[in-house]
Amino acid sequence: RRGLCGAAGPPSTRQLREAEEAAPVFQYAGKAARRKDRVFVWGFSYSGALGVPSFVRPDEGWKKPRRIQATPYRLETEEKISSAACGYGFTLLASKTRDITKVWGMGLNKDSQLGFQRSRRDQTKGYEYVLEPSPIPLPLEKPQQTRVLQVSCGRAHSLVLTDSEGVFTMGNNSYGQCGRKVVEDEIYSGSHLIHQLKEFDSRVVQVVCGQDHSLFRTKKGTVYACGWGADGQTGLGHYNITSVPTKLHGDIAGVNIIQVSSYGDCCLAVSDEGDVFGWGNSEYLQLASVTETTQVNVPRHLPFKIGKVKEAACGGTGNVVLTEEGNVFVWGYGILGKGPNLIETAVPEMIPPSLFGQSDFSPDIRVAHVRCGLSQFAALTNRGELFVWGKNLRGCLGTGRMEDQYFPWRVTVPGEVVDVACGVDHMVSMVRSFT
Amino acid sequence: LNAAPGRAPRQQVRFLPTPSPGGGGAVELVAARVPVLADHPLVRGPRFKKLKIGAGHRLDVKASGVFVLGIGHGNKLLTDLHNCHLTKVYTVGGLFGKATDDFSDTGNLVEKTTFDHITREKLERILAVIQGTNQKALLMYSNIDMKTQEAYELAVKGLIRPVGKSPPIITAVRCLQFALPEFQLEIHCLHETQQYLRKMVHEIGLELKSSAVCTQVRRTRDGVFTVDDALPRTQWNLQSIQEAIRNCQLKVETELEKTLG
Repeated sequence: RRGLCGAAGPPSTRQLREAEEAAPVFQYAGKAARRKDRVFVWGFSYSGALGVPSFVRPDEGWKKPRRIQATPYRLETEEKISSAACGYGFTLLASKTRDITKVWGMGLNKDSQLGFQRSRRDQTKGYEYVLEPSPIPLPLEKPQQTRVLQVSCGRAHSLVLTDSEGVFTMGNNSYGQCGRKVVEDEIYSGSHLIHQLKEFDSRVVQVVCGQDHSLFRTKKGTVYACGWGADGQTGLGHYNITSVPTKLHGDIAGVNIIQVSSYGDCCLAVSDEGDVFGWGNSEYLQLASVTETTQVNVPRHLPFKIGKVKEAACGGTGNVVLTEEGNVFVWGYGILGKGPNLIETAVPEMIPPSLFGQSDFSPDIRVAHVRCGLSQFAALTNRGELFVWGKNLRGCLGTGRMEDQYFPWRVTVPGEVVDVACGVDHMVSMVRSFT
Repeated sequence: LNAAPGRAPRQQVRFLPTPSPGGGGAVELVAARVPVLADHPLVRGPRFKKLKIGAGHRLDVKASGVFVLGIGHGNKLLTDLHNCHLTKVYTVGGLFGKATDDFSDTGNLVEKTTFDHITREKLERILAVIQGTNQKALLMYSNIDMKTQEAYELAVKGLIRPVGKSPPIITAVRCLQFALPEFQLEIHCLHETQQYLRKMVHEIGLELKSSAVCTQVRRTRDGVFTVDDALPRTQWNLQSIQEAIRNCQLKVETELEKTLG
């Protein structure tokens, strides 16, 4: 006797096709889905420079504090960060927004390099370590119109560049690096003072912090400097302190400079014609191609025959330049990126492009930007990949390993890296997601 | 094979007694070349009773393409070729919008998604990242100490190869065709299985916030053997096989010498 339902049997092709067509369609990303901008940090976290408080003070009792973040870690930010800078144990993040809060800082604040961060326990004192990105109150005249273009950090001072209100400086001023007169026995910790600099020959378009000096590049192509000058890093022709931004002459007088760079005590400038000028410390052969003196206090033209230079970056002991063809040249002292045998050179040596991923299979990979930390180098390709090499101080390279890296190595970041800022023992990168 | 004329029988010099041309009775020994009886075809029997045929890298039932076989002495060459760790090239076809349980288009449907937000640029970005992470894996499994100058030189030349076993590594990926919802990739890889490639297509779909299934896996090159050297079904006869072996011999020898020294 037949039951009411027959045996099912394997579904026929027609049934399968109908089931498939009737299945619901899910949408995860619409046509207007935009790529998201993210910030990734890695390196030494106990100074608070990574901006993740749970690394220093874990929120659960059983969790252990994380001293070093060896691989990129996503940092949640409220706004899209357009510029970031890493100092010696602290970080500044800036956004191009018109809101009142434009700059956030985290890390060491013993010299008020992050402005005054009012402590919640004692309203009169400030925090000495800031563990998460905290807004920095800038004394702007028109806070809802001015935009912050760029930030830069040195050893214990920071510079904030705005589009219409000049440059704001804060932090340690024992050598005049903040552009104001040195006050004897000034206490920098918990200071509210943020100085504003407006007297330049034209609008300032780039600010760069060396270890204890500051460089300003204006639209007309001139360079101003102030701060410590014992190694000649101010380039003003003497070895004294300068507390007011003063124009540089020497070989760059009359030259239209399009980029300046410094992080330690050596400085490099690139002109619009592709020439490289250098001044400052030359103990590590950074300027040995023009002079044997170890301190150069006037900008000198470096006669390198490597092609038209597009970008230069200075580290503590080594320098790197990028030419128009997309080749990377390194010189100086330390781990330069050509294996353990190349420790020092006074003449730039090229790093083979095959190390950045160029091969017969993908011949159009070029390096787009180069950056320097104190003893690390970073290169960004046009495909959005980040390559790092140098001394791996407290995991700052982000490779996941603790060993030094003697040739360019990819950092795995889930996204296309747009920009990276290198510090002494940590790095911050601005990344756009893939989809 | 057995019908083909075999080797000529060996000749030997034997001293045969022949009646001397002089008087009757006296026997002289005269040297003469005679074929060895042991080599006579009726004594020896057919030359080939069995043939040892070995297979090279595996190919799925659902996949197609170049499949390397070794005959006789070729089996030993096959092991040597395997130790060379040469890359294989696949053409992988995919389809956006579906996700199935075995990652191919004949499996049971798991989910359907939209895919109109996918562009060729997004796909190429994902492929660049895949290449990047696999590049790191290549360097890590090659057992070279990163701190030596030798490691730097090999990395510059691009000659770093994994030594011994390793998980599947993809050395290069490229998008050949892109016409929504279909796309085609060319993948150069090592130590992989075809199912791994299908899984990769599925993961690319997930990364693009959609889903993808693999429609075609075709191996276009296996080490030194390309599609041009391969014999299609119509040419599976003795003549073509012998010719193909002759053509490939030189290539295989040079490759083995270059890699294994």
